[in-house]
Order: sequence, then C-alpha cells, then structure tokens
Amino acid sequence: MERRNYRTNVWVDWCPGCGNFGILTGIYRALEELSLDPDRTVIVSGIGCSSKIPHFVYANGVHTLHGRAIPFATGIKLANPELTVIVHGGDGDLLGIGAGHFVALGRRNLDIVVILHNNGVYGLTKGQASPTLPLGVKTKSLVEPNIQNAFNPIMLALAAGYTFVARSYAFDTNHLKNIIKEAVLHKGAAFIDVLQPCVTFNDVYTADFYRKSVYKLEDDKAWDPYVRKPEEAQEKMLRAMEKALQQGEKIPIGRFYVNPFVSTFEERISQRLKAYPGLNPSNSVIEVQGEPVVNQKNFEKIFRDFIIETQTL
Amino acid sequence: MMIIGRALARRGYGFLANREYFSNIVGRHSYIHLRVKSDEYPRSLTYPVDLLVAMDAETIFMHFEDVSNRGFIVCDNASLHKTLEEAPSIEDITRERIKKRCNELGLDCSVESILKYLAEKKKASLISLQYEKIIRELFDKYKIDPRQLSRYLSGIVFSAFAVLLALDEDSLRYALSLHFKERAQIVEQNMDLYRIVVREMGGYKGALMLAPPRINQKKTMFVTGNDIVAIAKIVAGVRYQSYYPITPAADESVLLERYSFIEDENIGPLLVLQTEDEIAAITSAIGASLTGARSSTSTSGPGFDLMVEGLSWAGMNEVPVVITYYQRGGPSTGQPTRGSQSDLFNAIFAGHGEFARVVLSSGDHLEAFYDTILAFNLAEEFQVPVIHLLDKFLANSTATVSLPRLDEIKISRGAIVREAKEYKRFSLASLVSPRAFLGTRGVVMWYTGDEHDEYGHIVEDPENRIAMYSKRIEKMSLIKDRVPSEQKIGIYGDRNPDYMFVGWGSVKNTVLEAIDVLRGRGIRAKYLNIKMLWPFPEREFVEAAENVPADRMIVVEHSYGANIAKLIEMNTGISIEKSIVKFTGRPLTLKEVIEGFELIESGKEKKVVCRYGA
Repeated sequence: MERRNYRTNVWVDWCPGCGNFGILTGIYRALEELSLDPDRTVIVSGIGCSSKIPHFVYANGVHTLHGRAIPFATGIKLANPELTVIVHGGDGDLLGIGAGHFVALGRRNLDIVVILHNNGVYGLTKGQASPTLPLGVKTKSLVEPNIQNAFNPIMLALAAGYTFVARSYAFDTNHLKNIIKEAVLHKGAAFIDVLQPCVTFNDVYTADFYRKSVYKLEDDKAWDPYVRKPEEAQEKMLRAMEKALQQGEKIPIGRFYVNPFVSTFEERISQRLKAYPGLNPSNSVIEVQGEPVVNQKNFEKIFRDFIIETQTL
Repeated sequence: MMIIGRALARRGYGFLANREYFSNIVGRHSYIHLRVKSDEYPRSLTYPVDLLVAMDAETIFMHFEDVSNRGFIVCDNASLHKTLEEAPSIEDITRERIKKRCNELGLDCSVESILKYLAEKKKASLISLQYEKIIRELFDKYKIDPRQLSRYLSGIVFSAFAVLLALDEDSLRYALSLHFKERAQIVEQNMDLYRIVVREMGGYKGALMLAPPRINQKKTMFVTGNDIVAIAKIVAGVRYQSYYPITPAADESVLLERYSFIEDENIGPLLVLQTEDEIAAITSAIGASLTGARSSTSTSGPGFDLMVEGLSWAGMNEVPVVITYYQRGGPSTGQPTRGSQSDLFNAIFAGHGEFARVVLSSGDHLEAFYDTILAFNLAEEFQVPVIHLLDKFLANSTATVSLPRLDEIKISRGAIVREAKEYKRFSLASLVSPRAFLGTRGVVMWYTGDEHDEYGHIVEDPENRIAMYSKRIEKMSLIKDRVPSEQKIGIYGDRNPDYMFVGWGSVKNTVLEAIDVLRGRGIRAKYLNIKMLWPFPEREFVEAAENVPADRMIVVEHSYGANIAKLIEMNTGISIEKSIVKFTGRPLTLKEVIEGFELIESGKEKKVVCRYGA
C-alpha cells in the first residue's frame, strides 16, 4: 500500500506558526522517503496539541490517553512486531504524567520510535509549566516564575536505556526528517527530543531563541555517537551525557548516542517463545471454524499437572 | 494441603480448601481451612472442625474454639508449655480477646490448659508429637541441612492427616510425585517422614476414618480459582496478558507464562508482560487487542482503580478487552490478602462518560472456566470491555472440580474485515461496526479517545455526537438478547419456595448447601445466582422472582452494603431489605448462612452480620 502523499483531509488546527507544523512536515517527508506502508505503520500519540498528529497523517493512527501513548504502542508492537510504530507526545505528556512509561520503554528496548514535541509548556490547557521548563523562567502564561525545576530528557533517555538518542529542531525539517528516518530504521527504542516553539504561550523559548542557540553536533567532524564495538558503550554514553548537559546559550542537536548492541525486547522474547516474532499474538491461530485449538483430548494432556486420575481402592 | 488434597482426590474424595494468610511473607499466622467429602465435591466450608493440626502454639490459641466435640488435635510437644504471651505475632487486639475468653472459661492462657479444657469439655483427642525429634531423625538419615527444618514441618502435617484418615501409601506417593515432579529424593524423604509419623502416632491410624468414596468420577481437576481462570484463558485463545503484581491476581499470570508457547498444540505465542503499573497493563492490552490478539489483564481492586481511564478509552473506541478482577478487602489497601465482594459498583460504574460494558461473575471454579471463555467471546462479538468479577475466596480456594466439557465451547470473534476499499472503523451502518485489525493489508483506520466520526477522526458536531454516543450504548440491548437466560441468572432449589436467596459470585455453593440443609427442616428455598451483573438481566430476574414476595428474599454477600440488592432495586424496582453479610475478609460458612437465616426467619434481624473465623 504505497503512498507518495501522507496527508489526510483533516484540517490541521494548530496555531499559525506552531512548531508542530515543522514536525508534521518532518514526519511526512520521513514516511515518504522510507516509503512506509500506511497500513503497516501506526502513529500513536497521547493528549495535547501535538498528540493530534495521527489525524493529519495517512497511516494507522491511535490517539490515546494523556501520558499513555507508550504503553498503548507497546501492546501494539508486541502483538504485531511487523508494524512500524511511532509515538508522538508533548513534554507534559511523555515526561510528566507519562514519565514512568517513558523509563519502562528504555528498559525494554522495544523497537519503537518516540518523538518528543518539546515546547516547555502545556499548550492545550493554556500554557502551564512542563517538566522541561527551567526553574525561575516566567513565560507570559505563568502567573509567577516557574517554581519547579526542569529535567533533561536526553539524560533521562540515556539513563533509561534508549539505544538511539537524538535531538532535533522543529523548524529544521531536513535535519529532523533525517533523524526520524534513522530512528525508524534503528532496531530498538529510539528517542528524539524535538525542540519546538509554542508561539502562543512560551515567549521565552521562541523560534528566534532557537535560531541563535541551536548548533549541530555533526558539524564537529570528530563527533561520533555510534557505538561501534560493545566495549565502547560506556565511553560513548559518558560523552553523550557531557553533550546533553550543554543547555542555555548553546544547545546541541543531532545524534547523541546510538548503540546497536543491546538486545531488543523482541529478541529477548524470541529466546522464550521460539517462533516469535514470525508467529505472534496477532497472527497465531486460536480457533478453527469456531472450535478452540484445545479440545477434550489435548486439554487433558496439556493440563495434566492439574488433573488427577481417580483410583478407588 | 496440596499433598493431602491430591492424595484424597486420587482415592476419589471431594476436597475444598481455603487459604487464609496475612499480608506478610513469614511469621504471621496462616492457616488452611478444608473440608473432605465422600459423597460429593464439597460446596462450602464450615465449622466446627473435626481435626486441627497445629504447626505452632499460635494455631492452638487462634483456633481452639473451632474444634468439634470428639474432635482431634495434633500439635507439637514443644508448644504445650507455651503461653499466650509467648506468641508475639498475635495482634494485641486478638490477644486481648483470647485472654478474655480464656478467663471466661477459667483457663490460664497456656496451650496446656486449653488442651486440657478441650479434652475434658469436648472429649477431644490430643496427639502431641515431638516435631523436632521427628525431623531430626529424617535429617540424620538423609544428611539434610538443619536450617531447612521449617520446610519439612508441613510434612508432619500431611502425615498426621494421612494417619488419622488411614490414607494408603500409594496415594500419598502419587500426590508427592505430582507435587515434586522429578525430584524423586524429596518424595522418598517425605515418605520416610510419613513412616516416622505413623510409628509415633501408632494407635491413631484410621481414628478419623472417612466413608468409602461415592463420587465416581474417573478424573478430577485439582485447581485453585487462579489456575482454572488461566487454563480457561489458554482455551479461549488469549494471546496477550499484561499484569502488575497484586494479590490475589498475580498467580494467574504466572501460570499463564508457563503455558505461553506449546508449539505442537498450537498454544501461543502468548505474551505475558509484567508492566510498570496497572495503567500500562490495561493500555498495552488494549493496544494488543487493536492488532487482533485476544487480550486481557488481571488485577484486584487497587489495580482496577488505576485502569479506569483505560477502561473508558476502550469503551469509547469499542475495543474488546477482558479484565479479570479478583476482589479483595478494601477500601485502599484494606485487607490485601482477604476476600471481599464489595467492588460490585466499582466494576459496573467505574469510568467517566457512558458506554457499554459487560460485567460477569462466577459462582465456582467450573463456572469461572466457562465464564472466562464467554468473556472473550462477548468482548469480541460486541467490541466492549468485559470485566470478569471474581474474588480472593475463589482465587485461593483449591478444589476438586469436574473436568470441563470442551466440546461445548465455541470461539466467536465477531464481525471481522479482512479487506476493504474505504474502511470506516466506526461505521454507523450497524451498532457493531465490523472490525479490522491494525496491520490488515489495504486498510487504514484511526482511533481516538475524543468523540469521532466514522473514520475515527475527532469531530465535535452535535448530530454526529448523538449518533456515535447512542451507538456505543445501544449495543447493550444486543448483548442482552445474545446471552442465554441461564448464563445471566442461575436458578437453584425449589420452584415455589418459602424463601429466596439472592447473590452472586463465590457465595453460591455455600447458599446451595444451606438450602439443602433447610430442606431437611421442611423449609423450601431457592437461590438466584446472578451471573451477568451488567447489563443487568431485569427480565430474567423479575421472572425468576415472580412467586416470591420481597420480604421473603434474602441477599447474601461478602460486603457491608448487600449491594446487589441496590442494583436489583435500581433495575427492577424490587426492594430487598433482608441480608446476610460478612466483611471480615473470611469466607461465609455454611453454619453462618443457616444461623443467619434463622435470625431473619424468626424476625429478630433484618440484616445479619457474620463474623466467625480467625
């Protein structure tokens, strides 16, 4: 089911100038260049402005609950590992209410891409501070400066075990598109932190701000985020963390850490369930013309540990 | 318990045992209350007991009043001199109550004085064994590490049972072999332990002889409620089960994991995923369901509470998913290892907004087997979440159960789309829109928790809202038509009764046995076992209740509120004011139901609150 144009005819209802438009364009272009089948691709999202994105993409879309896109996506991917699964969510969604799931996906290293629409605010509820807005920052929508501190999404992804960790910027769609493509092709949990202005509620982290502060890691020819031998993993991670700590005036974008040597969750499962992922929950037989695959005869064989043959004296 | 139960089952006896334990791992008082019958599978537990086998002094303090006249007590010689103060794990409130009772009886709060009292007043037989000496003898022979002593204590318990019941060695060996599988040496050690106990108990062999078995089943299942539900899920074709560890549900998932892939039998692959919380449990099960896998999750009250937003999403998106809900004592952490039926309304009404769901309950192990499969069928046929409402009593009761009849089982998956040109996931052409799975070739669909159009895109248009909202709810009428009456309400006992008991879930067999006892006294009674709790089967209820005035109806429930009465009134207008309830977390016993009935019949009480059991 090839398609050159992944637009739906649903009107895109974001504010004019919203960073989400850049991310949507990045997704369209990545899907096009990868020629992903819309029927074999699933875009899963949480709740918030950015999480409306599945409705604008011609591919299967599952618009779920606030913070829960990752576990929905986990069930989808585990049950049908042949699908390409991409999660979208805002910073409040994925890192606030959904932080526990965000960490769990890293531990599993399941082959899912997570795209964080990171704008520092809860847009759809009119601009409250999110977990990525630094302490003391006062955006125009806040009554008082932010009283809670931010945490670093790249550091968290690295600590949680994501094996592809990158950052991009919403209005550098070429850069973003390339990173999305690489994340989709990566085997394992991939995380992309996408810096994104909110034109309506965040007057601090604006497009102007990012234009001045963002720089590309790959411009430094010596920067190599790829773990090329398993024993390099720790050193590469330490370097990735060092880069991740750069915030404020100069913000690096690009690939921080890519490690193809950690087993994916699918591989771990196939160690236990030998036929997996070829045979999986979505394609295995459970009935033949309405009859269960377990019949009277094999029932007694399969569950012999629970059956006692009576022998009266 | 597993050994003695299996040995008895091997010889054709019926067996039922409930496990009572604290929310801790080691040190507090756990006990097993069991019943053996030769003429039928036991339906209920009751007091007093004919035999009390105590592993420690605390057991004597906690249970001495449970012992029947001319009953038997087996205990450790080393316990005899213990006093109540020397059992530190007894809770202070309990200790004070026992002390008060001892004072009333003129006892000095020592095991010795209690046993003397039982011997004199109840003509009980006391058998004190030197547990440590018995075990040392075994350990010397096999050179077992003395630190393992506590592991072998239960061997004394089943051996004492076996001696008093005069069970033969073959059946014991059979049970031990089933339990320890290929670990032949452990079987031998236990057989030796049994022989030592035989020697020590000599003259008591067969003192508590059972009548010859008359049940005549060639094979019997020997399962807990958790076991039978897991087994049913395998038969139903579950392919994804998620869970977060919680008592008393987790054992089901652990068992499912053992059966997750049997290639030769077409079982699996079944993915059993321990998630990071119950929110992920329900939402990942929903995700798996969207791909066409039969999906379920298993939990208890606190976990279900966390699942409610996911439940509402499943309702909004018409997703088939099964939630197996084992009730325990709430609110909050409540009594995490004790039983309850107090979550009826939580299962039926939890979730914001209005949407169709099915809530099923099961009265016993075999019902739970068939209902588990029904739950998956209804979920897929009608694209609704189904809650299978069970409880700790069932989950942790080990019972002999007839083998289910597999030839009666059908797997129905509802309307499925394998290809479509212009697919509409939420087509308004019928109340149940044919379902395509994520991944179906040539088909693209959208899901959203927002109100949506036929394609699954967000739409807030008022006319569309009416059409979609109504469609989701009106499926309830189809469900009512589809489910046969006997699967909605089980009717037992006399057609024209003097009294009618009403209940649901695990009280069923206790009430049925009570009805038999009452019949012996010339009282005709009937029992309505409400199996489909939602949508409520009001037509069937009204028909079944036709000949009985409401003041002759009695609700039986493990709760404070006898809540099924409120549900009945809401749906039928019939107001039942009389109830027998229990909310100590311990199961209702036969004796309590009969005594409760007597209090109600005599007009002394309208609501009887039962409290027996340690």
